[in-house]
Amino acid sequence: MPVLKAVDVEATLRKGDSARLADPVAPRFEVGARVVVRNLNPPGHTRAPRYIRLKRGVIERDHGVFIFPDTNAADQGAKPQHVYSVRFDAREVWGDDAPSNAAIYVDLWDDYLDPA
Amino acid sequence: MNGAHDLGGMDGFGPIAPEENEPVFHAEWERRVFAMTVAMGFYGAWNIDMSRHARERMDPAEYLRASYYEKWLHGLETLLVERGLVTREEIAAHRRAVAETTTAAADGDG
Amino acid sequence: MSDHDHPHPEHSDPGHSDSGHDIPSELALRVKALESLLVEKGLVDPAALDALIDMYEHKVGPRNGARVVARAWCDPAYRQRLLADGSAAIAELGFTGRQGADMVVVENTDTVHNMVVCTLCSCYPWPVLGLPPVWYKSAPYRARAVRDPRGVLREFGVELPEDVEIRVWDSTAEVRYLVLPQRPPGTEGMSEDELADLVTRDSMIGVGLPRAPGAKSTSAGTGP
Repeated sequence: MPVLKAVDVEATLRKGDSARLADPVAPRFEVGARVVVRNLNPPGHTRAPRYIRLKRGVIERDHGVFIFPDTNAADQGAKPQHVYSVRFDAREVWGDDAPSNAAIYVDLWDDYLDPA
Repeated sequence: MNGAHDLGGMDGFGPIAPEENEPVFHAEWERRVFAMTVAMGFYGAWNIDMSRHARERMDPAEYLRASYYEKWLHGLETLLVERGLVTREEIAAHRRAVAETTTAAADGDG
Repeated sequence: MSDHDHPHPEHSDPGHSDSGHDIPSELALRVKALESLLVEKGLVDPAALDALIDMYEHKVGPRNGARVVARAWCDPAYRQRLLADGSAAIAELGFTGRQGADMVVVENTDTVHNMVVCTLCSCYPWPVLGLPPVWYKSAPYRARAVRDPRGVLREFGVELPEDVEIRVWDSTAEVRYLVLPQRPPGTEGMSEDELADLVTRDSMIGVGLPRAPGAKSTSAGTGP
């Protein structure tokens, strides 16, 4: 495995580390689709925060195909799939005391979502 | 995992308290932890998701107590040991050796 | 009382200096020990560590992002490209790299204010903003940004009209977000360089606003 050398630092860091994949995976959701976050409680790594589980949102933007962290963290492969920016109204997440004109956008993978 | 890192919506942490004219690092050891973590990331013995997970697996009370780069140090040591790149015994031996040549009070690297 | 009793050193003592406290001194020794071990094993090159530190302490920081914002304020075509494909438009100015390969830029308007957080860790667009400040990585901000964004903004001295919609972007994936703040009034005729000086770090996270022209240029909210 390569040991990072001083002479390579700047070029290596500027080159970046995109987790985007070229795999031709079809998206499960279209922009504008209504979704609900699955009630996920895996013992391992996940990037689905607790506060939006079982909450309903709308697909705002399709970011494309990326590595899936839940499997990647467990050395079980990249499981390529789409990541979306999903819009949740603040009241859907926090209840009626939340302002009506606030929203949270969370980046979520296909495996975290069901159709609402 | 439902860990202490998953903070969205929690109460009771107090004010945000931004620091005026904050430096990038607050101590020399923070610089070294940052750089070792990034360098070992390129070494390829683990990926970024494993690296995040190693920090999340900290004891929850310890996670909330620790400063940011303490969490990074914990994650780095955890992965180095789990991958067999170093042992806990080697870490302890080097810690003893450093203590013999450096006294904590004289360690003016802040 | 020892530092062990501090419930939240990250925000109660953001300076977290390692002089004179039990934990930081112990940490300094522990880190020194680990580095000596990794060097002995040939796993890290100390000169590479120095270069990494130099890069993020001196070369990459929020002045990069300020250049992007100032360009967008001056050049409508660039603004369009920036909002359509943040990664490509930012790369046009030479800002690329780790923790910023996939960028999305969100624009503040008279009716929408955007704010960025990472509730799960500390995701932050390094190529345009450098490394994140302590408060961004700490529990109070990560906990409350998604729950009470107006309260958080007030803490940063930002009071927005009630009818402005607040959008909070939680960076849970590998996409990184940059806020394009509104150009301050009274800046007509200013050069791109002059405009860049008004763009604070906090305004690109969405917890601050750009400086008004002529306002005192403290480095507050700008970062080094």
